[in-house]
Amino acid sequence: MSSQLASSHDRITTPIENQWVSLLKRLLRHRIAMVSLAILLVMFGASLLAPQIAPFPRDRIAIDAIRLAPMEREPDGQLHLLGTDHLGRDYFTRLLYAARVSMLVAILVSVISTLIGIVLGLLAGYFGGWVDIAISRTLEFVSTFPGLTILLIVASILLRNENFIVFPRFMDRFVAALFAISEREAKQVTLIILTLSLLGWTGTARLMRGLTLSVREQPYIEAARALGVSNITIMLRHILPNAAPPMIVDFTLGINGALVGEAGLSFLGFGIQDPTPTWGNTLAFAKDYMLVSPWMPLVAGFPILIVSLAINYLGDGLRDAIDPRSKV
Amino acid sequence: MITFLIRRILQMFVVLILSAIVSYALLYVAPGGPIEQLRAKQQQQGGQQGAEAIRADDIARIIARFELDLYMPVRFTRWLIGFPRGPITIGDREFFGDLEVGCKTPGLVRLRYPDGREELVEEGCQEAVYLRDLTTRRATNGILFGDFGVSQVILRDRPITTLIMSRLPYTLVLMGTSILLSILIGIPIGVYSAVRQYSRFDTIMTTLAFIGSSLPSFFFGILAILLFSVLAQQANLPYLPSGDAVANRNYTMPVLGTIRAGSFLDMFLHFIMPCSVLTFINIAGWSRFIRGSMLEVLPQDYVRTARSKGLRESSVLISHALRNALIPFVTLLAGILPALFGGAIIIESVFNWPGLGRLLLDALNRNDYTVAMALTFIQILLLLIGYLLSDILYTVVDPRIKLT
Repeated sequence: MSSQLASSHDRITTPIENQWVSLLKRLLRHRIAMVSLAILLVMFGASLLAPQIAPFPRDRIAIDAIRLAPMEREPDGQLHLLGTDHLGRDYFTRLLYAARVSMLVAILVSVISTLIGIVLGLLAGYFGGWVDIAISRTLEFVSTFPGLTILLIVASILLRNENFIVFPRFMDRFVAALFAISEREAKQVTLIILTLSLLGWTGTARLMRGLTLSVREQPYIEAARALGVSNITIMLRHILPNAAPPMIVDFTLGINGALVGEAGLSFLGFGIQDPTPTWGNTLAFAKDYMLVSPWMPLVAGFPILIVSLAINYLGDGLRDAIDPRSKV
Repeated sequence: MITFLIRRILQMFVVLILSAIVSYALLYVAPGGPIEQLRAKQQQQGGQQGAEAIRADDIARIIARFELDLYMPVRFTRWLIGFPRGPITIGDREFFGDLEVGCKTPGLVRLRYPDGREELVEEGCQEAVYLRDLTTRRATNGILFGDFGVSQVILRDRPITTLIMSRLPYTLVLMGTSILLSILIGIPIGVYSAVRQYSRFDTIMTTLAFIGSSLPSFFFGILAILLFSVLAQQANLPYLPSGDAVANRNYTMPVLGTIRAGSFLDMFLHFIMPCSVLTFINIAGWSRFIRGSMLEVLPQDYVRTARSKGLRESSVLISHALRNALIPFVTLLAGILPALFGGAIIIESVFNWPGLGRLLLDALNRNDYTVAMALTFIQILLLLIGYLLSDILYTVVDPRIKLT
């Protein structure tokens, strides 16, 4: 009897599909998102191979070949694919290394601030009461600070007093290896990552808190609690998976936020400093020479344009894939 | 409503004091600080003598300037509310005149390590500063009462208020015009996009808005300069100046002829580009927002009711749909007040526009912390006022909301 029912059930409805599989299928159908993902993977892969691909050493200066246009050659015949900057450093090489710094900074910042946001949002939403009050008030307080202004102030203070801040040696070494930069440059990068992530978690926390609140009173949570499942397990096994899809979108768009944030800081001169290349400071120097060499800002700004758009289209595609109301 | 206002203003006051403490701590308690920087520089120079060398009296001057000889809480309250300025006098009697409020010269203790090394360590206080000594010092009325003190570097010893007032008009004109234009253009675009969803207009506008809100703003600034300044000039067309608010000397331009520096036309030409780029970025964000909330409102029952009553379409869209769609938009307006004041830091920097955003950058670049603090403080205050106003505006656009 029961087996008969089950088989008729199978015949009528579509087979039950894992939500992640259906999400992936919907995403795969989203053409712009897939193109964006491909572009991002290629760029990121190339940046990880920067030391192998780059035709020149990162800081090599060609005195007699400054501000070359793309495809121009040095007097001794060496080709510069994308030209050279104001000091005669090869743009292709520097942008490759900059891609590594800029993209990794963006990803790390988004990872750290999403983690902070998830933990605080979960705690505030799940426990309520004074935990919620404490976290929510902190959150409101941090968002009272005017965004870019406070970012600039914190970054400028930290960078100015760089010599007074000491990180453990292994951390500097790790960052240096990850970003393919020297240990001396690593401290600056760490400081910028910390600044951006410590000021960037509020949106995620607010979102996570809302998601937790909406799930908390569901019968299955109550059932889990009645079965004696611990709070930690309920949060990790039952609430977090439900909040995961919007969190993934938030994380993706957070990468773009961090990318633009770091580029903005470096562009204004308060981020990662030359000679460590980032897309922001490369563009800042190019901008100073744009009246005489108009191609410089185009070359230096191109990667950030592509990557920023690609991340946003990917985030958009993810959102469409997750939201059942939208049609793909 | 009254109780709500009183409670909110009290809350705002608490937040304001807290953020004052935090920003003060950020600037003065952070590792480093003016003295340590000087000492580090001194050590770098080693025993080098000469005009450049940093001497003890330089350090003394810096200490006096930033009141570094006072204890931290005393310094903070003097900065915040201009207190204490001296002993309290009631009648002819002085009270607390002997209270220690700082330390002029720290006591030095010579430490001798077992291995023979010697080190001088600051310990205790040799010469204290008493409350009585403060009467002779220059003091501000406190930042809470609108006295921001004097600038330390940019306009040395001139009041910060003067500095801010000289930059404020530029920021107000730029931000005011572009916000006004963005509302006037952005809202109709958003409404039209929503009404004609998936039409060609909608597709183009949403794509533009998508690009406009995802790319960093300096990118558009640079692109605009390339197109309308560099390329136009090379093509012998009338071009737009690439930066600043006025020209230094007269210049000639095809079609328009000679333009006198400082004339209205000159200023207008300088104004066009930063204003349009800012407007474009604002429109991108706001039209998307309006489109989204219109799309949620349009299928509602009351919109259908309004249509079935036989109202004109324009009246359905504007007074029934748009009015409700604007409710979430009100939260965005809270940010306008600080934006009007703070200016667009990145755009002002790209176009060399002498507004308050540039002032903040200058202040940070040149270590003029008092100016940076003043600007931050005003912005936090305006943001809090903006939140309050947007809450009140909520009740205006949506009478169902009661503030309690």
